[in-house]
Amino acid sequence: MDERGSGGAAEQESGSLLGPRLVAVFLVALAGLLLQQALQIGSTRGYSVVGPTTIPLVVAGVLLLLGVVLAVRCTLARTIDADLAARSSEEEIATHWPTVGIILGILVLYAVALNGFRLVGVVVPGLGYVLATGLFLPLTARVLGSRHLLRDAVIGFAIAIVVYLAFTRFLGVRLPSGVLDLVGL
Amino acid sequence: MDVLGDLAGGFGAALSPENLLFAVIGVTLGTLVGVLPGIGPALTVALLLPLTYNFEPTGAFIMFAGIYYGGMYGGSTTSILLNTPGESASVVTTIEGFQMAKQGRGGAALATAAIGSFVAGTISTLAITFLAPPIAFLARAFQPADYFALMVLAFVSVTALIGRSLLRGMISLFLGLFIGLIGIDNLTGQARFTFGVPQLLNGLDVVVVAVGLFAVGEALYVASRLRHDREDIIPVKGRLLMNGDEFRRSWKPWLRGTALGFPIGALPAGGAEIPTFLSYTLEKRLNPRAPWGRGAIEGVAGPEAANNAAFSGVLVPLLTLGIPTSATAAILLVAFQIYNLQPGPLLFTNSPDLVWALIASLYIGNVMLLVLNLPLIRIWVKILAIPRALLYGAILVFATLGVYSLSNSLIDVFVMYLIGVAGFFMRRYDFPVGPMILGVILGPLMEAQFRRALQISEGDLSVFVTRPISLVILLFAAAALFLPYLPRLLGRGRRLTVGTGSED
Repeated sequence: MDERGSGGAAEQESGSLLGPRLVAVFLVALAGLLLQQALQIGSTRGYSVVGPTTIPLVVAGVLLLLGVVLAVRCTLARTIDADLAARSSEEEIATHWPTVGIILGILVLYAVALNGFRLVGVVVPGLGYVLATGLFLPLTARVLGSRHLLRDAVIGFAIAIVVYLAFTRFLGVRLPSGVLDLVGL
Repeated sequence: MDVLGDLAGGFGAALSPENLLFAVIGVTLGTLVGVLPGIGPALTVALLLPLTYNFEPTGAFIMFAGIYYGGMYGGSTTSILLNTPGESASVVTTIEGFQMAKQGRGGAALATAAIGSFVAGTISTLAITFLAPPIAFLARAFQPADYFALMVLAFVSVTALIGRSLLRGMISLFLGLFIGLIGIDNLTGQARFTFGVPQLLNGLDVVVVAVGLFAVGEALYVASRLRHDREDIIPVKGRLLMNGDEFRRSWKPWLRGTALGFPIGALPAGGAEIPTFLSYTLEKRLNPRAPWGRGAIEGVAGPEAANNAAFSGVLVPLLTLGIPTSATAAILLVAFQIYNLQPGPLLFTNSPDLVWALIASLYIGNVMLLVLNLPLIRIWVKILAIPRALLYGAILVFATLGVYSLSNSLIDVFVMYLIGVAGFFMRRYDFPVGPMILGVILGPLMEAQFRRALQISEGDLSVFVTRPISLVILLFAAAALFLPYLPRLLGRGRRLTVGTGSED
């Protein structure tokens, strides 16, 4: 990452701090929710002098305060965090959002494919560890810019089979076998 | 001496074929993850935690210690050849190390880093051997109030001294404290921050948080920038060993780096970043004629030794007080808890076999790493050539595997992805992740000590300032918090930040 210093702060002030501002808003909202939740914790003290609400209240309160300070430092001209502004605008240029979104989507599909799921009482079986992993790795690599689909698929299935055998046979950890059950492996 | 007898016993255990095998696996894995950019020892130990349920504790800890040390050795390779520090403690190494690599002296840089790490690691292990038992003995006088103060100090130093912004460090810490509070309160049975979700009643598993934050967060971050960043690996040319002149210029920085690193790491306010910067500055001042900024070997030898010594120093508060002062140490604390072992003053009396086998394995691990790193460096360098796309895909596979195998729960996996998204934004806007992990792990312990202390004092808050030990520690914490602002208060410019070691 190149150091940009605080030069050109004027041009960075408005647009580039959008991200940190959203983070600040999120923090304040989260802290508000936590405060509300903390106040609902039953205050039976049990055997302790300090009840179960004290620390949650402190944590939520401080988080709220920190969120507000962050919001101020991203907005009021005189307090602008030049470091953060420079970082944020550099990231803005470098980020390719579609990649992040697609990877997250594939991840969720992968987890569901591993495990299978239950929808209104109907159990949908998963693909099992080997098949799901063997498909996931080349797909992800492709999204991340790899152009060797066959090589990636071979490596994906190799890793999947080795992990599956090692975990289920030697480490005693259960992994979903999925459709491999049908072949009797 | 008693210590020597205990240590001999430890060597006896650590040298058993089975434990030697664990040590070899540990240092190899450690070097591997150290060399691979983006994954470090904290993540690796976290991923391996669920697997070790079946192992007996001594073997597991010998392996973890190997990963811990190996990660440090391997980390220098990435800094020198790729100019990307694997962790904040090797930022300084990149300054001179990458320059050396560009001039075709990468071999010498890697060699001085490896030998320096060996020297520092061995001296520090000696120091642990003789310092830890008396410290553990002294720590028996500590009361809950003192432990609370120690944890405050650990939090403050990790948040205030690391990273570029105190505000962002604090936010990270308090988010971690929030995550640590999720679940049923041990003392009263009240559900806290569970939002009515029954799966949250047992709290979030540390593995879920750590893997999400480190692995998924890092993978998403790299993915977001993959089209923008380019990395060039510098091939290692020429001889791998140092010549006589380079050796002469290296050995003093090794020793000075060790002398700086170990004590700072061993303080409950440890951390490995500060000593590396101090060492770099010190060497620069002591060797004004070295080619600074153009590949001065002193600037690799000193910081690498300091880095390694500080990492070993961190084991002192972890083993004797049960206080982790780095993300990896925090994960190691969780490993102890899994085995129902409580690191702290009583560890040395309750499980002497385990502790001494662990310490002996540190000596053995250092020797193994030297052997593994010097002649085999070309093989490790090859690992850097793994395509990024496959590497990060595989990291996601192993992250999912590690969390899924905890309890075959889809919810766990989704929570991990969610925390990964948080980790992505934290990296993007430069929020340090270390304080968050420390908050998750140390937060519940701190609350327990806080409540216990107030129970003993019958609700009198002054207990924290009337006990001399706790008062002194809290004053240290206050100093750590305000020290970075001193230059500004004195009217001498900006906050003194670690991580901005620019070269002018």
